[in-house]
Amino acid sequence: MPERIKHKPLDIDKVKPPKAEIHIITDQCKGCGYCIQFCPKQVLEESKEINARGVHPPKIVDESKCILCSFCTAVCPDFAIYTTEKKCAEGC
Amino acid sequence: MTEKKEPESRKAAEEVRIGVYVCHCGLNIAGSVDCAEVAKFAATLPHVVLAKDNRYTCSDQGQDQIKKDIKENRLNRVVVASCSPRLHEPTFRKTCEEAGLNKYLFEMANIREQCSWVHLYDKKEATEKAKDLVKVAAAKAALLEPAEEAEVPITRKALVIGGGVAGIQAALDLADTGYNVYLVEKEPSIGGMMARIDKTFPTMDCSICILAPKMSDVGHHPNIELLTNSEVTEVKGYIGNFHVKVLKKPRYVTKDCSACGECVKVCPIVVPNEFDVGLAIRHGIYTPFAQAVPSTYIIDMNVCLNKDGVVVCDRCMKACERQAVRYEMTPETADLEVGTIIVATGADVFDPTALPNYGYGKYENVITSLEFERLINAGGPSGGHLLRPSDKQIPKRVAFVQCVGSRSDKSGKLYCSNVCCMNTIKDSLLIKEHWPETEIYVFYVDIRAYGKGFEDLYKRARKAGVIFIRGLPAEIVEDKKNRSLWLLGENSLQNELYKIKVDMAVLSIGLEPRKDSELIQRLLTLSRTQDGFFMEAHPKLRPVDAATGGIFFAGCAEAPKDIKDSVTQASAAAARAGILMAKGKVTVEAITPIFYPEKCKVCGLCVKVCPYNAITLNKDLKRIELIEAACGGCGTCAAECPFGALTQKHFTDEQIIAQVDAVTENSPEKKIVAFCCNWCSYAAADFAGVSRMQYPPNVRIIRTMCSGRVAPKFVERAFARGAATVLVAGCHLGDCHYINANYQMQKRVERLQKKMEQSGLNKERLQLLWASAAEGERFASKIREMKTIVESVTSKEIEASQKVFEKALTGV
Repeated sequence: MPERIKHKPLDIDKVKPPKAEIHIITDQCKGCGYCIQFCPKQVLEESKEINARGVHPPKIVDESKCILCSFCTAVCPDFAIYTTEKKCAEGC
Repeated sequence: MTEKKEPESRKAAEEVRIGVYVCHCGLNIAGSVDCAEVAKFAATLPHVVLAKDNRYTCSDQGQDQIKKDIKENRLNRVVVASCSPRLHEPTFRKTCEEAGLNKYLFEMANIREQCSWVHLYDKKEATEKAKDLVKVAAAKAALLEPAEEAEVPITRKALVIGGGVAGIQAALDLADTGYNVYLVEKEPSIGGMMARIDKTFPTMDCSICILAPKMSDVGHHPNIELLTNSEVTEVKGYIGNFHVKVLKKPRYVTKDCSACGECVKVCPIVVPNEFDVGLAIRHGIYTPFAQAVPSTYIIDMNVCLNKDGVVVCDRCMKACERQAVRYEMTPETADLEVGTIIVATGADVFDPTALPNYGYGKYENVITSLEFERLINAGGPSGGHLLRPSDKQIPKRVAFVQCVGSRSDKSGKLYCSNVCCMNTIKDSLLIKEHWPETEIYVFYVDIRAYGKGFEDLYKRARKAGVIFIRGLPAEIVEDKKNRSLWLLGENSLQNELYKIKVDMAVLSIGLEPRKDSELIQRLLTLSRTQDGFFMEAHPKLRPVDAATGGIFFAGCAEAPKDIKDSVTQASAAAARAGILMAKGKVTVEAITPIFYPEKCKVCGLCVKVCPYNAITLNKDLKRIELIEAACGGCGTCAAECPFGALTQKHFTDEQIIAQVDAVTENSPEKKIVAFCCNWCSYAAADFAGVSRMQYPPNVRIIRTMCSGRVAPKFVERAFARGAATVLVAGCHLGDCHYINANYQMQKRVERLQKKMEQSGLNKERLQLLWASAAEGERFASKIREMKTIVESVTSKEIEASQKVFEKALTGV
C-alpha cells in the first residue's frame, strides 16, 4: 500500500501477545549457536560465561520479544533450551 | 475494395494530378492566414491542376466538393491544408476512398495548429509559412503511392489492470458482453479506494454496501479470471494481439481457505493494517477487510517468521482445518494473450508530511481525510466512533483544511483534485448526523460543488451549521496541555485574522498519480500529462482512448475523479474495447518497410535496430527476412540501411527528400528544418498551437512516424541545400512509441554533430529535442531559442556547411 503510516493503531492494546519464559540449561549447551542463529526475533546472543563443557552458552537479550515459537527447542541438538508461557497471574 | 483496385493502380501510372484545398476553418485559419492567396499560390505548384479555398473543408459540402473534383477533374492526389493530420487525416482519407481514390494518395498540410494559431499576430509571415507548408505537402503528394492495408485479427479477450471501482465496472461490462476478461490487481483484494471510504457523496450511500455486490460479481463471473496479488511485468505486441506476462505472487494460502479466521487467532505477528491506513492492526496471516474478494486469506511473507525459508512457526498451518496453508508456494508467471487493455490503475493520495506547517506526523490529532474515512466507518478500527487519536475521546470541535496538496505551485500539485470539496462536505454532514453538537469549521480556497446534487449537499451542510471560512490556515499549532490544535490564518472574505481552537484537524488531501505509473507508461508505451496522469488520445472526442491502439483508460489513472465519473468512464472504456473486439479484426496502417533485395548487402544493421524483432538474418540462406505482421512501422530500419535497400511505405526516402527540398527552396538560410515524430514531438507542436503559444514562424515541420526514421542523409541534405538549422525531435528516452527506436535517432544526431564539429561547423545548428505530447511550451521555447541561432549563422557558415555535406545532394 502506498500511504505512509503515521498513527499508532487504535486497537494495539487489545492484542495481548503471549508472554514467554525462556529456560536455558547452560551446562548442557555445547555452544553450536543454532538457537541464536535461527531465532526469528533475535532474542538470544552468545554470552561471555564459560559453562561446564567449556563453551559460551546463549543468553537472553530481551525476553519480551519472544513470541513462543519454540524453534530454539526444536533446533537444539542437546535439549538445552525450552520455552514456557508465563501465566497472567505472574504479572502481565 | 477489390473492385477499386484496378482503376487505382491504373491511375497511379497516369500523370500526377493534384487537387489542393485550403481551409479557412472559420476564422481559425483565415484570421491570420490569407487563404485565398495560399490557394492562388498552390495553383502554380507543379502537378497541381486545381486549388480552392473554402470555409470548412471537413464539412459535408467541403468533402462533397473533393469527391466531385476527384471524379470530374480526374484528380489522383489530394492535399488539404487545414488542421493537424492527427485530427482530420482519417476524415479526408475516407473522403478520398469514397471517391474511389486510394487513401494513401492523400496528404495534409498543417496550417492551423502549426501555423495560424502560433502566429496569430503576423498575417504576412503566417501566410508565407502556409504557402511553404502547402508546397511541402504537394511535393510529397506527387510521390505518394497507393497502398493496401493488412488486416490483423483481434484476440477476443481483454485485460483490465487495476481492480478499483473503475476496473471492476470495466471488467463486468466486458464480461457481460461476452468477452473473457483478465482482471489484474496488485493488492490481495479488489475494491481499491472505494472499499475504504465510508459514505459516497452526494447521496450518502454506504460505499462498501454498494461496492461489495459488484466485487462479489467479479469473483463469481464465469467470464472473468481474477488475478489478485499480481502485477503486469511485460507487455508485447500491438492492438488486437498483446502478449502480457503477469507475475502472480504467492498468497501461501490455497483456494481451499474457507475464511474462518482460526489462523489469525494463533498468529503471533502484529503489524499495522494498510487497509485501515495503519489505524488498526492485522496479523501476519490476514484478510485486508471483511468483504475482500477473493476471501482467501494471505500471509504477508515480509513479516512472517518463515520469511527466510525456514519454517520456524507453523501455528496457522496447524490451526487450519482445511489444510489451506502452504509455506512452499512460489511466484508464478501467467502468459496472457489479449486483444485490448484497459488501464484502471487509480491514484495515490498526497502525503501531507510535505507541508510541515500543518504538523501532520508531528501532532497526533492532525489526520488525513482518508484516515477520517476509516475512523467514521462502522467497519473501521473505532467501530464508527470518531475518536481523536491522542486520548480516544469524541472531538467537540473539528476543522477541515481543504486543498492540501492541490492547487498550489509551492507545495503539492497545481491541479484541483476534484473530489476533496464534496468529500469534506459529506464528512462534515456525517459528523453532524452522529454528534449534532459538534462545531465544524471548513477552511477552503473555493468550494467547487459542480456536479449533480452537489450544490444541494453544500447547502445542507451550511444549514446544518457547518462554518465555512475562506482562507487556508497558515499554520497549525498544538496546545501541549490538552493536545488541542490552534489554527492560525486569514479570513480573506472579511480581511481579518483568525485563531481558532479545535480538538482535531482533518487535512483534505488531494489525489496524485500512482508512484508506479511510470512503469505502466513504459510497459504500454503511453503518454502522461505534465500532472503525471495518463494522457488520452483526444481530450474531447476520444477521452478514454490511449494514443496507443487497443488501450483505454478508466478512473483516476487518467485524472482525479469521483466514483460516478470513474464508473461512467469505465463503461465507456469497456464499450470502446468491445467495439474493437466485436469487429474481430483491425487494419494496420501501410507504413511497413519496402525491401529491395538486390541492393541488400546482408550487413545486418537493420536487424540490430528493429525494436520489434521483425527483421531477421537468415544465416544459412545469407539473406534478410521481414515479418510484416510484427512490424510496428517506425521506419528506423530504413534510416539505418546504408545501401538504400530498405525504405518505409508512405514515408519513403524520395518523399522525405522532396519535402526537405521544398522547405529549402526559398531562403533556407532563415529557416529551421524540423523533423518531428508523430506521437510526441509533432503532438507537442500541435499542443502549442491549441494553447496558442506564439513562436517564430521560420520553422517548417516534416512529420515522420518515429524520430528513428530520420536518416542522416535527410539532415545532411537540408544543410547541403543551405538550411541554417535543423531540429530533430522525438519522444523522451524511454517513452518511445516504438519501444526504443528514438535511441537510434539520438546516436545518429550525435554522430552528425561530431562530424560537424570536426569539419569546423557550429554543431549548435543541429539540435535535438525530447518533448512529450503535453510539452507544447517546451517545443515553442526550443523554436524561440533556435531563432537566435538562425540569426547568428553567417552566410559563410552556410557555404561551409553546404560544402561539407555536398555529397548529400547526389546519389539519391
